[in-house]
Amino acid sequence: MTAPSAGRQQDDPGPAGRSQQLAWLLNRVARGDHSAFEEVYDQLAGPVYGLVRKVLRDPAQSEEVAQEVMLDVWRTASRFDASRGSAGAWVMTIAHRRAVDRVRSEQAATTRERSLAFGPVHTEDVAEVVESALDRQRVRRCLDSLTPLQAEAVTLAYYGGYTYPQVASLLGVALGTVKTRIRDGLIRMRDCMGVPW
Amino acid sequence: MVSLPGHDLHQLTGAYAADALAGIELAQFEKHLGQCRPCADEVRGLRETAAQLGITTSIVPPPAMRQRVLGAANRTRQLAPPGGRLPEPGTPGRKAWLRRALPRPVSVAAMTAMAAAVAVLAIVLAGTQHRLEQARSANQAVARVLTAPDARIETSGTVVGGTVTAVVSERGHEAAITAAGLPAPPVSRAYELWVISAAGARSAGLMPGASASATPPVLAADIMPGDRLGITIEPAGGSARPTTAPIVVLSVAA
Repeated sequence: MTAPSAGRQQDDPGPAGRSQQLAWLLNRVARGDHSAFEEVYDQLAGPVYGLVRKVLRDPAQSEEVAQEVMLDVWRTASRFDASRGSAGAWVMTIAHRRAVDRVRSEQAATTRERSLAFGPVHTEDVAEVVESALDRQRVRRCLDSLTPLQAEAVTLAYYGGYTYPQVASLLGVALGTVKTRIRDGLIRMRDCMGVPW
Repeated sequence: MVSLPGHDLHQLTGAYAADALAGIELAQFEKHLGQCRPCADEVRGLRETAAQLGITTSIVPPPAMRQRVLGAANRTRQLAPPGGRLPEPGTPGRKAWLRRALPRPVSVAAMTAMAAAVAVLAIVLAGTQHRLEQARSANQAVARVLTAPDARIETSGTVVGGTVTAVVSERGHEAAITAAGLPAPPVSRAYELWVISAAGARSAGLMPGASASATPPVLAADIMPGDRLGITIEPAGGSARPTTAPIVVLSVAA
């Protein structure tokens, strides 16, 4: 794994450049290029694992799901279409769906054979990746610009992996309200972050 | 709340981008997305936004994961590109996206449906020639659906990728269902097909997954007008009733 260093900001091509580079790498991956896949892994395994972990909490399950996600990226790279969104969003969408699927299948299953206590505990993996500190600040700032209800609805839905009816019941507000708050919140975030889509 | 259904559905772009929709509502919204260009555009932007929320959660993954993933990639065959052609690397997307005309998804969907129907036929024919003894009755039933005068094709993408196609004979109360490009189900899980009516969901058997080409058709019988077909991810042996949100829902009535 390449160790991210704090002194790299100078060479950082910026979000747009990074995104284009990732799209190019994914294209190489689609052609079976293993070294391109290693680069994609090194860039995205952290965000993927972080997001899955945020939703699932359990380290062992998160590791399992994050692995599936990265293998999915390898397997389905040919389905990535740069005209329909950025490479990062494509991968994070796969990660989020997989995590949410896992939450929902676990919730629905009547038997819960897997005891959380049996999973190996990783203590070292809570260290944050320094590289994305700038992005993190920007997202934090934009999240702060939402109304409390918007922020809570977006956070519970996305990080919590809850369906919007579940969010409504958690917040004690009407379904229609949650529906619009999630949308308005994300739109405000989008405009605040200057997402180019 | 009094509003037009279309307007109501449009409000779901945010929940959809955050994967906060489930079940029938998810299926309905995805169907709507195919017909609502502004919705699809908005979803795209909101997905990018949600992804930014995701990227900031980045933490260092367990070191052993890297070798496991790279090793698994070495042993894993990749999916063929849709349409059999890879885009040139390095072409930025936005202009292509702007140029892209509305009819494209429609024609792709139609071609997928045709390809799937042809594949179903091919499998049926291969089956009747080579595995006549074992496969006769099942294939006869499938062939009956395919050749029914009122046979109709319903097709839809699934939440997990891939396409599901049903050839439905309403008069015969039967449908043959095949899937293409479904990802392998999670470990010790399987895809299960359901006939969904007002009375509830009834299993029509397990769907073979993990096949880039079309899977052998599964037959669903005793379909009544108004029923829908759905596929869920279930424990490997199948469940008595669905325990997860469907990855796809097809209506069998015109």
